[in-house]
Amino acid sequence: MFNRWEDLCNVISLRPLLPAVGLPTPVLPTWCLILYFLDIFHNMDFSIRPATLEDCKDIARMLLELAEYEKVLDQIKVTQKDLEQDGFIKNPFFHGIVAEVPEEHRSKEGHTKVGYALYFYSYSSWKGRAVYMEDLYVMPEFRGKGIGKALMSKVAQLGLAAGCSLLNFSVLDWNKPSLDFYLSQGCSDITADMGYHCMRCEGDELEKLAQGGT
Amino acid sequence: MSNFILRKAEPKDVSDILRLIKELAKFEEMEEQVVLTEKELLEDGFGDHPFYHCVVAEVPQEKQSSDGYTVIGFAMYYFTYDPWIGKLLYLEDFYVMEQFRGYGIGSDILKLLSETAVKTRCSSMHFIVAEWNKTSIEFYKRRGASDLSDEEGWRLYAIEKEDLLKISAKKR
Repeated sequence: MFNRWEDLCNVISLRPLLPAVGLPTPVLPTWCLILYFLDIFHNMDFSIRPATLEDCKDIARMLLELAEYEKVLDQIKVTQKDLEQDGFIKNPFFHGIVAEVPEEHRSKEGHTKVGYALYFYSYSSWKGRAVYMEDLYVMPEFRGKGIGKALMSKVAQLGLAAGCSLLNFSVLDWNKPSLDFYLSQGCSDITADMGYHCMRCEGDELEKLAQGGT
Repeated sequence: MSNFILRKAEPKDVSDILRLIKELAKFEEMEEQVVLTEKELLEDGFGDHPFYHCVVAEVPQEKQSSDGYTVIGFAMYYFTYDPWIGKLLYLEDFYVMEQFRGYGIGSDILKLLSETAVKTRCSSMHFIVAEWNKTSIEFYKRRGASDLSDEEGWRLYAIEKEDLLKISAKKR
């Protein structure tokens, strides 16, 4: 708290003025105190850590929230059990990181796990090792506090540590808040810039293809 | 040409794999973007935890290409995850040398990959195609592929190493 006090004094440049008006540093006007506490709220304490098996319940909860936001709730087939089986085996299909807040900052419904990112290692035939960020989500009540940036930063760090030179992910074209966020982080839209479209062959069509049908 | 085989790539194939990667990139007018080396392909594909899998199409000596190659097609893929539907097979590269097209080699490679996807309980196979590549888009659509960018509005994004370093170094 003392560091923040000092920081606040420096930021609002009162320190140089105080000796001139004869007030000791800690004695500041009410509006400074308001700013100070607002600042604490904005920079809420949170931690980013690797997901564990026990986190799958919260990841499944937040995954559904994200799917609802993307208007595709009816497409979800993965369950908490699938996440546990596919993410926590010897050769996992994905890795996860979770953003957690202290008890005193828990959500309205009592959750302390307030954001997550799912990622896996992929490969670019042009550049080699790559990391694909499959999901990035922060509960609405906890946005604007740097948690999304911190999650993405962690995925970037982990990717670089594993020797990756590329981070890929997909965004829906109507998701303006996310598009703006990603563009501010230095990302490029490969679909717009290079004309690459994401394609899929699934379900019955995949079975037909496997049987040699055209 | 019925005389070709499809097999799992081996370490000795990395030279041919890189050659074919570069040929495909040249076709996509992106040849200068290929910075991958044979050494990286070897470490990344044939170590304890491979980053990718590869199948190659090979013809007998007597059918070799005009420049003397017998490995004339390949597909590079890996497994990914969609937390909505589970495991997926992602097709990174898929290419048959021009001289060997029209013989069903590409169709057979795709069939093999689809079988692999089904056997490993993948719900779907995903890949990207350049929107100007009409021949490939037709090839895939005839086989039941749908364009997620057009139909659902998905756009592919990338962050290169320089920006990754900046993001990972940002303090809170």
